[in-house]
Amino acid sequence: MPPIILRSPQPLILFALPCLVTLTLSGCGNTDNTPSPQVQLAPQILRDFADQVVIPNHALFATRAEALSQAIGRFTQSPNANTLGAAQQAWVAARAAWEQTECFGFGPADALGYDGALDTWPVNETDLKALLSSNQPLTPESVRQMKETEKGFHAIEYFLFGTAKNRQPGDLTPRERQYLQLAGADFAQVAQNLAASWSQGVEGKVAYREVFTSAGQPANTTYPTLQAGKAELIQGMLDSLDEVANEKIGKTFAERNPQLAESRFSFNTLTDMKSNLQGVQNVYLGRFPDGQTQGQGLSDWMAQTHPALDTEFKAQLQTAMDALAQIPSPFERAILDPKAADAIKTAQSAINQARETLEDKVKPLMVPS
Amino acid sequence: MDALLRFPGSPRLKWARLFVMGLLATLCVSVALQRYWWPAPPSPLSGGTTTVVNRTSQGFGQPAPNLTDAELALHIEGDRAFEATFVTAPAPVNAGLGPLFNNASCLSCHIKDGRGMPTKGNLLVRVSLPPTPSAKHSQSNSLFEGQPEASVSLGNAPPVPGLGTQIQDQAIYGVPPKANVMLDWQETQGTYGDGTAYTLRSPVFAITLPNGEPLPQNVLTSPRLPPPVFGRGLLEAIPETTILGLADPDDKNGDGISGKPNRVWDVRQKKLVLGRFGLKANNPNLLQQNAAAYINDMGITNPVFPGPGGSTEIDAKTLDAATLYTQTLAVPGRTLMTDPVVKKGERLFAQANCNACHIAELRTGNHGVKAIAHQTIHPYTDLLLHDMGPGLADGRPDFDASGTEWRTPPLWGLGLTQTVLPYSGYLHDGRALTLEEAILWHGGEADASKEFFREMGKGDRTALIQFLRSL
Repeated sequence: MPPIILRSPQPLILFALPCLVTLTLSGCGNTDNTPSPQVQLAPQILRDFADQVVIPNHALFATRAEALSQAIGRFTQSPNANTLGAAQQAWVAARAAWEQTECFGFGPADALGYDGALDTWPVNETDLKALLSSNQPLTPESVRQMKETEKGFHAIEYFLFGTAKNRQPGDLTPRERQYLQLAGADFAQVAQNLAASWSQGVEGKVAYREVFTSAGQPANTTYPTLQAGKAELIQGMLDSLDEVANEKIGKTFAERNPQLAESRFSFNTLTDMKSNLQGVQNVYLGRFPDGQTQGQGLSDWMAQTHPALDTEFKAQLQTAMDALAQIPSPFERAILDPKAADAIKTAQSAINQARETLEDKVKPLMVPS
Repeated sequence: MDALLRFPGSPRLKWARLFVMGLLATLCVSVALQRYWWPAPPSPLSGGTTTVVNRTSQGFGQPAPNLTDAELALHIEGDRAFEATFVTAPAPVNAGLGPLFNNASCLSCHIKDGRGMPTKGNLLVRVSLPPTPSAKHSQSNSLFEGQPEASVSLGNAPPVPGLGTQIQDQAIYGVPPKANVMLDWQETQGTYGDGTAYTLRSPVFAITLPNGEPLPQNVLTSPRLPPPVFGRGLLEAIPETTILGLADPDDKNGDGISGKPNRVWDVRQKKLVLGRFGLKANNPNLLQQNAAAYINDMGITNPVFPGPGGSTEIDAKTLDAATLYTQTLAVPGRTLMTDPVVKKGERLFAQANCNACHIAELRTGNHGVKAIAHQTIHPYTDLLLHDMGPGLADGRPDFDASGTEWRTPPLWGLGLTQTVLPYSGYLHDGRALTLEEAILWHGGEADASKEFFREMGKGDRTALIQFLRSL
């Protein structure tokens, strides 16, 4: 049999053939040259997170904090059942907006002291009582300089609700009302500063929106990669789910200790937790329903790349929210009620289930290590 | 090229040779390209198997991934202790704050397990009288009568009457704080070798006593910014022989860099031992470091530093959990390691001899917590004291640390500093707002390295900084 020989092959082609094959093959693994739709979506997700979730949520919180301050003003001017009820409702409304921000507590909130001034727990009841029994002058400046445990949400809650939602309109002394009014005004100012720190910048600093949405751009030293920006969103969701399942529910329930419930004065702890989960859902979907905003969220990226997992996680999150709604209110009493134990355990495990899916399945796809 | 391709022999052999040559050439070029563009990545495992992949604001607060279930449960307990906000007794939860304190929780100073801000409540000031020649280190129980300070150098840092050795500028209601500390900044100008101007700031303190008088002139002061707390168990697990092996207190090798171990008082063992923790390495281990922070910074009596009659405001279980927490926080892995600019910066870091003190790689030895034992780590410290020159000097000795000496701080996680805490600063008092400023403050033994950096062109400076940001 005559050998099969290629007719006069060009030597150069023979030399180049392995090169071409190798280069073609090696090119297969490297698709970054033309960004896929998912890659192009990532910067949009970060922008929408800032513009459609964080900023509108902070803005609503600032508006409600101001409304709370006004309602406190009316109550302290003329303490009666109506003005007290209105101030309590305003507190609950502000709280609902604030607790939705829990899964994005990064950025200026800690560094500039806003988080501590707004939401430190527990209240230093001993010092606060001593201060209000004294004749030390109370001014806007003295309240601004007070310790974090003596102002903010929970100190205001203490005066508006009593220690177990038992405040009567005539309970407060004139001096306590004076303090409460000043604490309300300080609170509203801090809420406004927090909103401004993201949207327009405070104290001569660039708006944090600009820092976060430019993740991955060469000049960005805070988030040098786009991946770090995406990871921040997921980290916030994970921490919030963990906090609700294993601290707010877990530890309080395990110890059957209502004193550990965060909003125990107002019996609002269960509502706090519902708001926390709502916040997680907001980040995932890239929207803020209370502010009627809608953008591209992590879910849109997942729906394009792993639609089944996107559906699974959304369903688990909804299941967790539904399970939380099954816990009888108030949570401060439910933890002591054997009949409520199953509902509490079910909610805890449903939230942990969503957290595990996010950690073990979603995160590795979004933020490959 | 033609000469290369002209082969003797049969056409088939010729084609086969050509093909093989092409294959070999491709292989060589590929390998070369691989080296240049996709080099074998250096290890991102800054904390050995305790490393986590996390470049978020929570990058300093993750549990080491290699803990046992029991250790993780205790770590979570410790996490709660670390974030617990203390209040004035009596109180249903977290009672016992003060009466004197700097802040009310661990976490409010070590924000997100990282640094604090150079502001009231975060930045604290240590004080002492000038050392007396005959003084010796010892532990005196009488110190506790009226002064809560504990793990302090008593020989060369005599307590100031009425102030002790740390200014607690906050107190519970009805108790006057020890002093009021006002902080202002002054600026100095400098220029890089290429003529580019820069500005450095340094703090100016105005400390006022309760009676309205300024702090007496002879009192020595040392401001201290809370450092990050992750990876500390690994530093605790580095064998003493390793650290002493890096020491060269008399600069026998003549490289201009000494490296001196601190010898500090171990409260439990009642003797002088190697110091590792604190900005001047004045604490020997994390148990004592944490217990001292509870008593000094928050006024919380504890089993190591009990109150009158042996009373305590946290029990041993809480202190142990908090200690384990600080031993087992993961080290965040590096980012952008294969970036050519980062790689260039890493070379420049070595060329500038930064790595003489900021030692890149160390091995841990035995430790009670298995997860942190026998790890190869990249902390960028030698845990030794170095003279950092007059610009950074606090002038206040602390055990064997002189008034110009500071312990080399670890650099791992450095690039996450302002992700974890925007606007925070570097160095012992937070004076440096950028990494460039932090380098430019180096003096003393580090002066030559600083000058090397100052004389670099802009591209090289940028590369060095990019390397630091990748940590």
